[in-house]
Amino acid sequence: MKAAGADQPVTAREPRRRFVASLLYGRNVDRTAKTRARLGLAVLIFVLGYAIIAARLVMFAAAPEGHGSRRAIAQDAVATARPDVLDRNGEILATDVRTPSLFAEPHRIIDVDEASELLTAVMPDIDAAELRGRLASKRRFVWLKREITPEQRGQIYRLGIPGVGFLPENKRVYPNGAEVSHVIGHVNIDNQGTAGIEKWLDARGLADLHLAGLATDRLQKPVELAVDLRVQHALRDELLAARATFKAVAAAGLLTDVRTGEIISMVSVPDYDPNNPREALDPSRINRLTTGVFEMGSTFKALTLAMALDSGKITLKSAFDASHPLQYGKFAIHDFHAQNRVLTVPEIFTYSSNIGTARMAVSLGIEHHKWFLRKMGQLDRLRTELPESAEPLVPKRWAELNTVTIAFGHGLSVAPLQAVMAIGALMNGGRLIPPTFLKRSEAEARALATQVVKPETSDKMRYLMRLNVEKGTATRADVKGYYVGGKTGTSDKVVGGRYSKTKVLTSFTAVLPADQPRYLLLIMLDEPQATPDTHGFTTSGWNAVPVGGAVIGRIAPLLGLEPRFDLPPADKLILASAGGR
Amino acid sequence: MMRILNICVIGALVLAAADVYKIKFESTRQAQRVAKLRLEIRRERDVVAALRAEWAKLDNPARIQDLARRHLALKPVDSRQIDPLDNLPERPADLVPVNEADPIGTVIANPEVLDRSATGSVPAATR
Repeated sequence: MKAAGADQPVTAREPRRRFVASLLYGRNVDRTAKTRARLGLAVLIFVLGYAIIAARLVMFAAAPEGHGSRRAIAQDAVATARPDVLDRNGEILATDVRTPSLFAEPHRIIDVDEASELLTAVMPDIDAAELRGRLASKRRFVWLKREITPEQRGQIYRLGIPGVGFLPENKRVYPNGAEVSHVIGHVNIDNQGTAGIEKWLDARGLADLHLAGLATDRLQKPVELAVDLRVQHALRDELLAARATFKAVAAAGLLTDVRTGEIISMVSVPDYDPNNPREALDPSRINRLTTGVFEMGSTFKALTLAMALDSGKITLKSAFDASHPLQYGKFAIHDFHAQNRVLTVPEIFTYSSNIGTARMAVSLGIEHHKWFLRKMGQLDRLRTELPESAEPLVPKRWAELNTVTIAFGHGLSVAPLQAVMAIGALMNGGRLIPPTFLKRSEAEARALATQVVKPETSDKMRYLMRLNVEKGTATRADVKGYYVGGKTGTSDKVVGGRYSKTKVLTSFTAVLPADQPRYLLLIMLDEPQATPDTHGFTTSGWNAVPVGGAVIGRIAPLLGLEPRFDLPPADKLILASAGGR
Repeated sequence: MMRILNICVIGALVLAAADVYKIKFESTRQAQRVAKLRLEIRRERDVVAALRAEWAKLDNPARIQDLARRHLALKPVDSRQIDPLDNLPERPADLVPVNEADPIGTVIANPEVLDRSATGSVPAATR
C-alpha cells in the first residue's frame, strides 16, 4: 500500500478521510464508480438468490409431492392395484388384498448357505436348490417367493437375515370362487388381466396406468357389472344338478334383460376357479356361450318365423304342406313330431315342423333369408366386453339347400349369445340391442338399439312362444304365475363330418313374462343322456325344458317378478292387445 | 433518526427470522403427521379391503345354501306362495266394538254376532 500522493486533487475539508481512503483503495481509483459497481453486483446476487427461491417455491407449489412420494409408490406396490369388480347389487366379485412378497438382494447376503437353510426351514414348500441358486446369483434383485403369509413374514423377519426384505403386493382375490369365473376371467401373478372382464379392464387403459406407475392406489372407481350374483348362483346350481342328472358333457345358461341387453347371468359348466387360473387352460372348461359356436337347432325356427311374419307375405293364418318329407336331391327333410298334413304357422311352431319352416324360408328366397340373418347379427362375429368371441360358421356357398337347413337351425353355427341377442330382439318389440356385461340403463339401450322387425311381429312371436308352452313342446317349463313362453331346440351334433344319431345338443329359450317381456333365458345341454324319467328320450322337451322350468321357478323371485295367476291364454292376452295397437 | 430506523429494521428482521423458523418447524411437524396419517389410512384401507373380501367369501350364496340345507328346515319359495296385496280379502268386521271393556261378556250376551264371523278366508257355512 502506497503512502498518500500529492498529485491527488484534494479539498481542505477532509484530509484525514482522504488519507484513509487512499490507504484503502489506492490513489487513482474512482471510488464512486467502484461503489456503484459493487452495489450493482450485490443487487444482482440478491436478485438471483430470490429468483431461485421464488422459482423453487413455484416448483414446490406446482408439484406438491415430487420425488419422495414417487419413490414410496414404487416401493410399496409392485403388482398393480386393480379396481374392485362388483355385481349389480354391489356384492364383491373381485378385489385386491395386500400380501407381502419376499425378495433378496444377493450382493448384500453374507452367508448364502446359512440364509437358504434358514429360509427353507420357514418355508418348507420352496425348492431348496432353486432358492440357493437365486441367492448366489449376481443380480441385484431377485424374488424368492411371491405372496407369503403374514406368519411366514414374521418368522423370516425374526431370522434377521441381511439382504432379505419384503414388498407388499396387491393380490387379486375372487371371493366367490368359480361362480362368476367365465364372466370375470382372471389375472396372472403380476395382476394383469388375462381373460374375461379383467382383460377388458386392462385393455381399457389400466395397463398404461400401470406402466406409468400410477395405478397403485385402491381409490380407483369400482366397476359395476350387470351380473346378479344370486341369480348367477341359482342358475349355476341348477345347471350343475342338470349336468349330473343327464350326464351331459357340458351345460350352459344365459339370462339377459331384453329391454337393456344386460347379461344378468352367464354360466357354462364345467367352469374353473379364477383363484387358480391354471384350471382355465383345460379346453373342456371353455365358455360355450361366447367362445363356442353351435348349430342351434329348432331355436332358430323362431328367427325363420319372424322373418316370414315380418315380410308381410305370410300371416299367422298361412298354411304350409308338411304331409310329405321334403326331398332335396339325396337329402330328405323329416319332421320329428310328424303330423303328415297341412300345418298353419302356429302349428309349425308348436310341432316344431322342419318341413314347414323350410318351405316358409324357401318361399321368401335365399337372398331375403341371408339379408334377414345378417340384419339379426347372425352372420358376423359378435363382440362384447369379453375378449373371447367366436366367429359364426357360415356356409361359403349359400344354395337353396342351405336356406332349407338353416331355416330349422342346421348348417349355420353361431355363438349362443348371438342367438339370444336376436331372439331378444324378437321379444322386446323388435329392437336389436348389443348385449353387455356392464350395467346399462334403458335409455342407453334405446340409443344403441336398431329396429329390426316390426313391433307387431314381436307381438306375434311372443304369442307363438307362449302357445308353445301352453300346448307345444315346452309344456314342462310352464311355471305357474310367470307366464313363460319358450322354444325348444334339439340338434344332432356333427361327429366326424356326419350328423350323429345319438349325440345331441338340446336347448331351451324362454321369455318371461311373455306378455310383458323382461328376461330371456337360454338353457343348453351338450350331449345329455336319457334317464329313466325321460323314457329314453334325449330331446330338449325332456331335459333342457324341465331344467329351464326349475331355473325360472328359482330365479323369478330373485329378479323381483311378481307372479300373476289366472291370466288368459296367449291368443286372448297377447294377440288381442296386439290387435288393438 | 436513521439509527432508530436501523435498529427497528434489525429487530423486525430478528422477529421475522424467528417467526419463519417457527413456521418451518411447525410445517415439518405437520408434514410428518400427514405422512403418518396417510400411512395409517392406507393400512386401514388394506385391512378394510381384506375384511370385505372375507365377508364376501362368507356371504357367498353357495356357502349360505349349504349351511341352510344343513341347519335349517327351510325350502325355496314357490311362486304359489306369493300373492299381491290386492288379492287379500277384506278384513272381517269386528264382532264387538274395539274399545269394548268386556268383549267376551258382550259376545255371550249377544250370541248372534258369532254368525257373522268367519275364520281365515273360509266363509262360514250357510245354514
